[in-house]
Amino acid sequence: MNPAGGESAPVPGRRDGSRPRRFVSDEAWSYLCVGPGLFILVLLGLLPILGAIWLSAQRRLPIFGISEFVGLRNYAALMGDARFWEACRTTLYFTAVSVTAEVILGIGLALLLHGTDESRTGERPWIRVMILIPWALPTVVSARMWEWLYHSEAGLFNYGLRAVGLIQEPINWLGDPFWAIHAAILMDVWKTTPFASLLFLAGLKAVPPDLYLAARVDGAGAWTSFRHITLPLLGPIILVVLVFRTMDAFRVFDAVYVLTGGGPGNTTETLSIYAYKTLFQTLQFGYGSALATGMFLAVLALTAGHMVLLRPYLREVS
Amino acid sequence: MTRLLAIACLSVVSFVVGSCEPNPGSSSSRTPTVLVFKHGKLSGDPQAFQALLKEFETQHPGLVVREEILPASTDQQHQYYVMNLEGRTPTFDLLAADVIWVPEFARAGWIQSLDQLLPATDRKEFFPATLQAATFEGRPYAIPWHLDVGVLYYRRDLLERYGFAPPGTWADLVRIARMILEGERNPGLKGFVWQGKQYEGLLCVALEFIWGNGAELLVRDTEGKAEAALAFMRDLIRQGTSPALVATADEEAARHLFQAGRAVFMRNWSYAWSLLQREDSPVRDKVGLAPLPSFPKHPSASVLGGWMLAVPRGAARPTEAQELIRFLTSSSMQRRMALQLGYNPVRRRLYEDPELEKAQPWLTALYPVVRTARPRLVTPYYLMVSQVLQPEVSAVVVGRRSAKAALASARRQIYQILGLQEDHSRPSFP
Repeated sequence: MNPAGGESAPVPGRRDGSRPRRFVSDEAWSYLCVGPGLFILVLLGLLPILGAIWLSAQRRLPIFGISEFVGLRNYAALMGDARFWEACRTTLYFTAVSVTAEVILGIGLALLLHGTDESRTGERPWIRVMILIPWALPTVVSARMWEWLYHSEAGLFNYGLRAVGLIQEPINWLGDPFWAIHAAILMDVWKTTPFASLLFLAGLKAVPPDLYLAARVDGAGAWTSFRHITLPLLGPIILVVLVFRTMDAFRVFDAVYVLTGGGPGNTTETLSIYAYKTLFQTLQFGYGSALATGMFLAVLALTAGHMVLLRPYLREVS
Repeated sequence: MTRLLAIACLSVVSFVVGSCEPNPGSSSSRTPTVLVFKHGKLSGDPQAFQALLKEFETQHPGLVVREEILPASTDQQHQYYVMNLEGRTPTFDLLAADVIWVPEFARAGWIQSLDQLLPATDRKEFFPATLQAATFEGRPYAIPWHLDVGVLYYRRDLLERYGFAPPGTWADLVRIARMILEGERNPGLKGFVWQGKQYEGLLCVALEFIWGNGAELLVRDTEGKAEAALAFMRDLIRQGTSPALVATADEEAARHLFQAGRAVFMRNWSYAWSLLQREDSPVRDKVGLAPLPSFPKHPSASVLGGWMLAVPRGAARPTEAQELIRFLTSSSMQRRMALQLGYNPVRRRLYEDPELEKAQPWLTALYPVVRTARPRLVTPYYLMVSQVLQPEVSAVVVGRRSAKAALASARRQIYQILGLQEDHSRPSFP
């Protein structure tokens, strides 16, 4: 909690308040501790990002032996690239819908889990483990699974809908411009809601039960307690989930790529998929890096927005 | 940066691979030379192919061929080669390249020219289209290994029951499919399945429709024939000849449906034949193979696919690698690959070979198709062109864009990539 080791603060956990004798000053020691982590961050995080930004200022086509500095020309081209804007729209739509659904369903699921824990039969941790299975499966594996569920002839969805008489003709989930993106969203929601609900569950456990008792004494119903006690106290957790999930959903790649490859007619092409195709399939390293950098800046802006929202809560915590 | 990373990754990988490698041929006193052959997973019996390589080793004492097999996905293989060849330290001596990669790899300087393997007398042996795809700036950079062409599969039993011959035009196909579907009254049976997913395979199908209407992809024609061909693909789905699921179908999805006896017609590559005729196939001996239909007054057109052998620049054993190419593309080995693995030979003579004809009679049906098959655009820019076209054609197939708008937009972008003027009437390649 206090990495620089304030002069006056005694080290907790030592009965006499003394600290171990060291051969370096406290400040140097703290840098030494942070050093390895910082080194790895710079090596694996900062350098590649700077490398990509550097590449994005070049026209780099290895096949044609072209490598020249073009300044901001790639970004100018990006602004006029209709496919880029379409990918932006798709990505934002995907992020907005899936994150909203995940937060709502995640809270619902957390309330259910919390309820079973509180009930007379005692805690049942295996339910929590079971619920995490979709989150634990590798995305490519679950995407392949969902591809079969969505199969218009042999898929479970069409079978079920036809069995209950909701549809006559099979729906072409992944081949229809309207359904394809929603099919991808549904899979993402299925996969990541457990993660959100686990965080919410932790938040619920932190709510003091006396508050509910007091509310009940005052005659508050279930909805009123939820609205005026649970929701406000979950606020910081909701924002944390929003930040995590928005960042993740914004750079979604594997789920959508396996399901549709960006099709039909690019309706499911997210920014990551467009960047991948530009970088690794057509080998336009400069332009592809500009795309990736643009995406990075967008995620940065989104996160900064969330941080502004989070600030009042963070202050409260500290 | 990227190159540095690639080199770094490569050296780690090669170190690991190198250190776990068992000592080959430890019993012999001299260490044999190891020739590393990278290729995608082969369909068919891998042991039959290993037996072929064994024979090469017997003929060349002191040489050991090690196969290193890449995933079946063409995109993944391409990515692997890009990362490993751009680093200029190939850990392999021989590679199998998709026909569409050769100009790209050659332009990038990743593979060597192979003039000495293709003397003028030998050139006549190969189909001109395959040589065209293997040539860059007038020199061969790869040798065709096995080839594939787009063909029409049909249910011979059903067509015979209703008294139809295989269709010659697309209108015939639509009519026959409709009559059979009406007669069979089986809701599980579909008319015509093909590859409509947004990927490379969709482009091949689209090119076959466009060429089959006497049009070209990049050359604007006053009668709008290319547009009409693309619009026809959409109509196939809209009018119910093709099920909506073709919009997500790749080769295997289409084959599974057809093989389960659930479609009257299928466009697919010739590789599907041996799978359809397998012992456990429900449509075994009920299938026929014909050239693809075309539009009235235009000949049938097929896209050429397949794989070629090339030697990376900087390979440790280029001479031995060329020796292996010569061996694998020789008449006798091509015959064995056709007999034992079901791969289509690249040498013309084999299509008229009596022994092969008896064992694989469908090769005779394939011959006219192979003879007229055309490569896709032969240009080092091909993958960029393909990336532009895939979403446009897919948008037409699912009815999101008109054929006219999609083609105009695709052409504009492609002209830009190729550095051609808008009004350029005939680009310098087919």
